[in-house]
Amino acid sequence: MPTVPPTTHPTAQQKAARQQAAPQDSAPEHAASQDSAPLDPAPQEAAVQDTPAAQAAAPVIRVKDLSFRYPGTDRDTLRNVDLTIERGDFVAVVGGNGSAKTTLCKTFNGLVPHYWSGDFAGSVHVGGIDTWESSVAELSARVGYVYQDFQNQLVRPTVRDEVAFGPLNFGHADYRERTDEALAQLGIEHLRDQFVWQLSGGQAHLVALAAVLALRPEVIVVDEPVAELDPARAGEIYRRLRDLNEREGLTVITIEHHADFIAQFAKSVVLMADGAPVWHLPIQEAMDRHADLSSHGVPAPDAVALTAAVGAPHVALDVDSAVRILRPALREQQVPGPDPATPASGAGDDGQVPRAGSVTTVVGTDLDGQVPGPDLATPASGAVDTGPEAGETAADTAPPAVVASLRGVHHGYRTVAGGLSTVLDGLDLDLRAGEKVALVGTNGAGKTTLMKLLTGLIVPRAGTVTVDGIDTRSRSAARLADHVSYIYQHPQQMFLKDSVREDIALFPRGRRVEDAEAIVDRVVAEAGLSAPAERDGRSLSGGQQRRATLGIGLAMRPRLLLLDEPTSSLDIRSRDDVTAMLESLSGTVQCAVVATHDMELVATWATRVLVLDRGRVLADVTPQELFSRPELTTQTRLVPPQAARIGLELGLDPLPLTAEDLRARLRTIDGTVESARADHLSRTDRLGATGFDTTGTGER
Amino acid sequence: MARKTHDVLSVDWVRLELLRTAYSTRGGLFSRMDPRMVLAWYLVMAIAPWFTHSTGVLLVLFVLGVASVVLARVGPLVLGLFLIGLLGNVVGLFAASFLFGGDLGTLVALGELNLKLGAVSMASMAAFVSLDPEKLSDALLWFRAPELLAFGVSYGYRMLPILVDEYVTVFEGQRLRHAPVEKPGFLGLRVVWQWCVLAVTAFYPIMLNTAKNVRTTVEALETRGFTYGAKNEAGRTLRLAYLRVTPLDVTVVAVTGLLVVAAFVVGPGIPIIG
Repeated sequence: MPTVPPTTHPTAQQKAARQQAAPQDSAPEHAASQDSAPLDPAPQEAAVQDTPAAQAAAPVIRVKDLSFRYPGTDRDTLRNVDLTIERGDFVAVVGGNGSAKTTLCKTFNGLVPHYWSGDFAGSVHVGGIDTWESSVAELSARVGYVYQDFQNQLVRPTVRDEVAFGPLNFGHADYRERTDEALAQLGIEHLRDQFVWQLSGGQAHLVALAAVLALRPEVIVVDEPVAELDPARAGEIYRRLRDLNEREGLTVITIEHHADFIAQFAKSVVLMADGAPVWHLPIQEAMDRHADLSSHGVPAPDAVALTAAVGAPHVALDVDSAVRILRPALREQQVPGPDPATPASGAGDDGQVPRAGSVTTVVGTDLDGQVPGPDLATPASGAVDTGPEAGETAADTAPPAVVASLRGVHHGYRTVAGGLSTVLDGLDLDLRAGEKVALVGTNGAGKTTLMKLLTGLIVPRAGTVTVDGIDTRSRSAARLADHVSYIYQHPQQMFLKDSVREDIALFPRGRRVEDAEAIVDRVVAEAGLSAPAERDGRSLSGGQQRRATLGIGLAMRPRLLLLDEPTSSLDIRSRDDVTAMLESLSGTVQCAVVATHDMELVATWATRVLVLDRGRVLADVTPQELFSRPELTTQTRLVPPQAARIGLELGLDPLPLTAEDLRARLRTIDGTVESARADHLSRTDRLGATGFDTTGTGER
Repeated sequence: MARKTHDVLSVDWVRLELLRTAYSTRGGLFSRMDPRMVLAWYLVMAIAPWFTHSTGVLLVLFVLGVASVVLARVGPLVLGLFLIGLLGNVVGLFAASFLFGGDLGTLVALGELNLKLGAVSMASMAAFVSLDPEKLSDALLWFRAPELLAFGVSYGYRMLPILVDEYVTVFEGQRLRHAPVEKPGFLGLRVVWQWCVLAVTAFYPIMLNTAKNVRTTVEALETRGFTYGAKNEAGRTLRLAYLRVTPLDVTVVAVTGLLVVAAFVVGPGIPIIG
């Protein structure tokens, strides 16, 4: 394995180093398409000799005049691509949907043109090998590929067998050493004998990565790790990738929508648009051009946007440097003492009263930070427990009506080994009308179980669950569905009919709801699905699929709406659409509960956050309170939005939750503020217009 | 009618039992053996009953089958289905023959067929409950089964739990979104009918989703050298290098062989009623 130190990118010398005598490529001049920015961020070392060291310094991937058209389409997917990727680089390939990021990366391991045959013009050289004359098998040993839907990439029953699969197929006698080495590189030796279906999402991704590493590639392509993983786990994947890049000199290429990961980990950025790179720049320069990124569907991370707003010559790439740049720009009254840790430690003590004046409607919460006491019962709860139709019983006193309550709920599942694993342990909870509840916590904390208990799909082993005044033990789940509806994490599991409209109509028609057709029409329009309403849900884009499932839930007209990870695996634009749609729910639904890892969603949408940990409510707080208690977010592996982290470091009180909040506390340069705000508005207000992405699934 | 959580005879239980069976988590004698020898053992046990019409021999072989089921620790789901099948067969055929003028003698005649089927089924259960997917796939590969079959077996096992989970999820969604039956009808037949319809239609989304998902799988197989490996011997040799026949294997197969021979010798002498 080559151990080349990571290349740095002193672009100033770029022009000087073009004359290179690589054997196959004698003309490394690259026409910059559409933009005057240079396409190659790193200088190519002068005169390659025949020494191994010099070979190691040659670019690992060189794409020249590449065009590609899938069979049966009438336009080129890749158009005149010229691109050089240096050995040891950490490249983020970014761009909007349909900009051919994935197709480009599939040319590196020969899937294009050997698996996806089509019209192929130009050349791709990987480590000096012309991919046109090579094969997928040969190239795969050099370029590893981890798919966006990596779960489908795992083909063997156990982890050990999965990782050894590639080396065995290629007949490497040292397949055992390779397997052990790959597992050790990622620190997942302990998973060796697990079955693949037992793995969590993050573990499965690491296993897919290990299986690719076992072939000892020079380049690894990772397609959107954030899409199927929560941000904390995606961050972990990125840290491992950075280790591989720095320690082993592996070239890493990631396809990514989320600019905060790019800013934090990548060394250079390729911006793709319309089948060709717009530019390829070192990370700092790329982020300085955040307006370009944002106009191509990659909004700047908060650290970048805020430091740009205060007119920093070079934007900050991470929270720490953003804090340094922003501190002097704070408006006077906000500046606290120099110690950034003070507000955190103050709020972290047990039993602190939450800050008044927040927007919450929470009553009777437990802020102890440990275990909710058994005395959570509120005046209304007695009536709710006994009353058969208790929807309006609690109306006369001050607190809003209880929509759902849990009393002393214990639940657990049988394991394959036969034991009982406890998931919820003595839960007492009231959910009230008007609340927008975010349910957060690590995987296995009991979020999904809690939701299933509220739907009545399962009943607790001990304790009672009451929804809309009905004990879930006394009704079948199908009848409870009149009061509560549940939206799955994976939209395709909710598409039971052959068109979106039929799926939305299924519930109201089946229950012979009056004016069912009118409800369906209204929901279809509200979800912005008028155009694709007659298509099968599976053929829609990710964002449309989510809105379709939200529509299915709305057409059920529940009092209590439960959503499991409604924003996962969405790009940022679709995520904003879904968030805006959630925002408009309050008209229809009395109380909404969202289980999520998406802290941006928590910050912008929720009024109450329930932090679950090992089957208990660890904290019942407002988003502001949650993000101002680092010990809480660390323990539950939550990553607060960048703006909140910056605000916390700056010691702001009250804590800003979004970049908008924080910007209001800064002395900004006006022009930048205006353009950034306009950009933000154009992102969030698009729900009103009907300009939804109707292009279908977009990428191949 | 208060609902409660059931640990057995629930959907979740069926799922867990399927997993325990498929991945042979219960251990047992045969799971410690070399998979090729388990298949050899299985061939002996599955073929022998077809060479005799003697009820006595079949009775001994049936008892051997029972013993191997116990040794293999076959789980309650598979065993229950087997018993329902076997007893249902006996009772059904007997009832039918009785209607057409048969008597207890018919039962004895039926005994021969059912002992035979029973012995073979139990050997199958014992063998396949003890082979986890990797071992089974490697044994098939060793016996020169086509590469694709050997891979398909292990891939099927890997997909099974995921498909079961997805099926349960979709089926739950069906129940929530379809209106419950208003009147249960005679013996709740309408409810049963609706369940059957929902259970079958739940396959529709699963099939479409799976079809979509395997596109990545096929592509990934290509990048991981599956077609390359199928054409090159080296991988197969390496993969199978770990297979070892141990004294345990030899003992088990030898003892089984002896017992089967003994059955054929002793069997005809066993007095059978009728």
